[in-house]
Amino acid sequence: MTSQTAPSGRPETYIRFDGALGRIENLFNLIAAASILALMLLAVVQIIGRTFFNSPVPGFIDLTEQAMAAFAFGGIAYCQRVGGHIRMEIVLGRFKGRALWIAELVGVVLIWLVVAALIYGSWFHFERSYQIGDSTIDVGLPTWPSKLLVPVALSLLWLRLSMQIYGYLRLVLHPDAEPIAVPVIEDVTTAAQHEIEEAFGEDGANEGGRA
Amino acid sequence: QDVTWNVSVWGKRRAFTEHLEKLNELLAQKTDGKFKLNIAYGEALSKSRENLDGISIGAFEMAQICASYHEDKNPTLTVLELPFLGVPDLKTQIEVDEALYHHPAVQKDLARWNAKLLMSSPMPQYNFVGKGDAPKKVEDFSGMRVRALGGIGKAMETIGAVPTTVTAAETFQAIDSGTVRSASFAPHAHLSFKTYEASNWWTTNLNPGTVNCPVVINIDAYNALPDDYKQALDSSVKESLDHYLAEYDKVYDQWYKTLDEMKIEQVTFDKDELTAFKHKAGEPLWQAWVEEMNAKGIPGQELLDLVQSKLN
Amino acid sequence: MTPFEIGLLMTGLLLVLVVIGMRVAFAAALVGTLGLIAIFSMRLGFEKGFVAALKMAGTIPHSKSVTYSLSVLPTFILIGFLAFYAGFTRQLFEAAKRWLGWLPGGMAVGTVFATAGFAAVSGASVATAAVFARVAIPEMLDVGYSKRLSAAVVAAGGTLASLIPPSAILVIYAILVEQSVAKLLIAGFLPGLFSALIYILIIVGISAFRGDAPPVRGFTWSQRIQSVPGTLPILAVVAIIFGSLYFGIATPTEAGALGAFVVLIAAFINGMRTKQLGQALHETAKLTVMIFTLIWGVLVYVRFLGFAGLPDAFRDFIVSLHFSPWLTLVIILCAYAVLGMFMDAIGMLVLTLPVVYPAVMALNGGETVSAADSAFGMSGELCAIWFGILVVKMAELCLITPPIGLNCFVVSGVRPDIPVQEVFRGCAPFFVADVLTIALLVAFPAIITILPAIM
Ligand code: NA
Ligand code: NA
Repeated sequence: MTSQTAPSGRPETYIRFDGALGRIENLFNLIAAASILALMLLAVVQIIGRTFFNSPVPGFIDLTEQAMAAFAFGGIAYCQRVGGHIRMEIVLGRFKGRALWIAELVGVVLIWLVVAALIYGSWFHFERSYQIGDSTIDVGLPTWPSKLLVPVALSLLWLRLSMQIYGYLRLVLHPDAEPIAVPVIEDVTTAAQHEIEEAFGEDGANEGGRA
Repeated sequence: QDVTWNVSVWGKRRAFTEHLEKLNELLAQKTDGKFKLNIAYGEALSKSRENLDGISIGAFEMAQICASYHEDKNPTLTVLELPFLGVPDLKTQIEVDEALYHHPAVQKDLARWNAKLLMSSPMPQYNFVGKGDAPKKVEDFSGMRVRALGGIGKAMETIGAVPTTVTAAETFQAIDSGTVRSASFAPHAHLSFKTYEASNWWTTNLNPGTVNCPVVINIDAYNALPDDYKQALDSSVKESLDHYLAEYDKVYDQWYKTLDEMKIEQVTFDKDELTAFKHKAGEPLWQAWVEEMNAKGIPGQELLDLVQSKLN
Repeated sequence: MTPFEIGLLMTGLLLVLVVIGMRVAFAAALVGTLGLIAIFSMRLGFEKGFVAALKMAGTIPHSKSVTYSLSVLPTFILIGFLAFYAGFTRQLFEAAKRWLGWLPGGMAVGTVFATAGFAAVSGASVATAAVFARVAIPEMLDVGYSKRLSAAVVAAGGTLASLIPPSAILVIYAILVEQSVAKLLIAGFLPGLFSALIYILIIVGISAFRGDAPPVRGFTWSQRIQSVPGTLPILAVVAIIFGSLYFGIATPTEAGALGAFVVLIAAFINGMRTKQLGQALHETAKLTVMIFTLIWGVLVYVRFLGFAGLPDAFRDFIVSLHFSPWLTLVIILCAYAVLGMFMDAIGMLVLTLPVVYPAVMALNGGETVSAADSAFGMSGELCAIWFGILVVKMAELCLITPPIGLNCFVVSGVRPDIPVQEVFRGCAPFFVADVLTIALLVAFPAIITILPAIM
């Protein structure tokens, strides 16, 4: 079906799944971005209300805290897709070919395992607050919606990691194939180039992995 | 058999945690050092608001919690945090707490977290310090921006004050800059957040309410204890609390010394005025609480009556 | 094995994983989870312990991310991206050029001023260097500056971003060590200005001596005054954040939000379109989630350390050495300088502070020590603030040192005609300046503590 028989061929199903997942990830990142804008506006309302009308937003801190889950977790899978979670690349950067893909594969499998563990644990954290009850300190907002966001966002990340495992496995088998939908290691100069592109907002063009 | 229990508490070692230190000491004496508590300060084992989660998971065996940090986790305990109940001192607070902790509805509430109530950590009443004209009667709080959370916040709202959320650490600055005019804490918290440095008055006996912060233990861990260890634990509670009260007396001494040094006006309300507070800012919220509990299938009136019976 | 030994073993594993390139946030979360499994299994048996460990680890992402003081981070990051997308950077440089061009090395001095100003609105050193490499270097080369100086001043100027508020890294430090975010942000202000001033002195000195950076004259007063309005949004943001924190009128989150709001309005007036706002928000969201993931990932590991009792043990070990506290402090700072050569500043801080910070506080005499009884002559709270600024300045220094001083690579990346070795060489005087600055900050802590002490 895929490149295992034809190293230079394009694994169509994989690419299609990558695209679909990418759209969901983009949506989550968009929600995160919107929540940041909303936080900004709410805080401005809070300042104006408190200063000029003697009426602060009731439970402003509670509200902010619960809403924070949106931008703290929303973009997590997107960030993994574009290789945005920081790491040290000095040692890894010396690897080439199959050795590099094996190292990348092992790294992603480890993340995949720990994320699975955290999905399990954070689900129970949500479930306790939903079934037994939990509320915020000041105005008593229920905390379960915010807690639910964690296993959901991590599940999306887990799907992305599953994709990347496939992507790297494919490269381990065929080290010369074109890397598709996996973040590719950069030397310091290319990393710098990316910082530049980010600062100048030019990476909109190659979304969906830096390959 | 050596047993070490992990104990999750927040903050540093202070009067509020001295009953745990004493308990550890007494357990060592009674079990030849075989039953120990590893008291982990500073939220090393869990964030304070998640201590019940940690107990329910079995991550640690003992923890201190405060009911109002998460009312829906422990609705029955919040009766002790209703405003203007009229608790005069810490000794009475312990008696009220113990009566309530033995009520089956309360034990059932905590058992949902696999938790059992061990003892109280009685907290002083949250009186106000503030800046500007000192309030003398109920109406003086009208329009005043106050730092008061939860039940006290709601109570102050019924008499026209404006509860404003400010984190504890920012309270000094908030009073100093006029973001709020006054703030309610227990004396030790006023001392550590230095709210008095920005203020010129203090309400000695408004006693608007406080938080209720029991020490809880994991039921399975308790049941797994050998009988003599159980006995050692249960029999040490009273002495630990006596030690705790002695430590709090020192805090009060320090507090009143500070008030004198800073020349802070001590506002004492007379009985009629306190009754007015109770009628206007307390009782309506008590009724609301009872109805809320009834809706949850918790015998609210019974719990409130139990508390009142210990106070009158 | 004792929990303490498990703690050491797992910490070693974490180092290996980070060095071989596993993403730091997840490496820390993995090691923390494994450590919790080991410790809980010893107490509860494997089956129960395994489940309890996963459930404990699973509480941390939400519990630790959903913390009000952290909500300031996206607002600061947003300010930086908006200021860039709206073109305020270029306007700031233009004004600095017109006002200060007449000095020897005047354009370079202007660049330092402009980076310091942009630093104030950008939380990120590397992004600042990238921006000014494109804005300032061509102009400096046009008027006859050497490539080496032009590139170096941009790389070094970029490092000012983390000290002058708003600064994301100072917020992260404050959260990790549980100190006031507002005080840390205010504390960075003077050292940041101080660093900038030393840079300026060095530029003027070198330029007057070498003559490779001729002055730029000929701007009229009316041209100068015309350039002022373009700098107002950035100055307003600095004033809003500094003023409201210093006088306690607003929380950091509120101040950051108000700053972002003002920049947003100014940006729209300046001609920014919805598309650029979208880009700015998009980038902000990405950087925000990266930082939050790093924070909770490391805190899973820190929770495990708490159960293992490692920070307490390390603190007792450091204190038991009976070295002079000053010597120990200098050794710790040097260790950061070495570490910073290979690690990203934020990653370095979050990984080391949980263990190093309690030790430093213990050296000073504890968190509640008074100035009179302390080793460094300052209260526990001020010591925490002082150490934070020192560590962040160390991390910044590493951005212009070989082998992977990222700012130098960024500048060389924007200007492929300037080899990276040339940028490193040009940075040598600034490196000396930074070492001098750090020595002064160590010797005269008041530069750091005076503002937060009287808040
Ligand atoms: Na900055
Ligand atoms: Na570095």
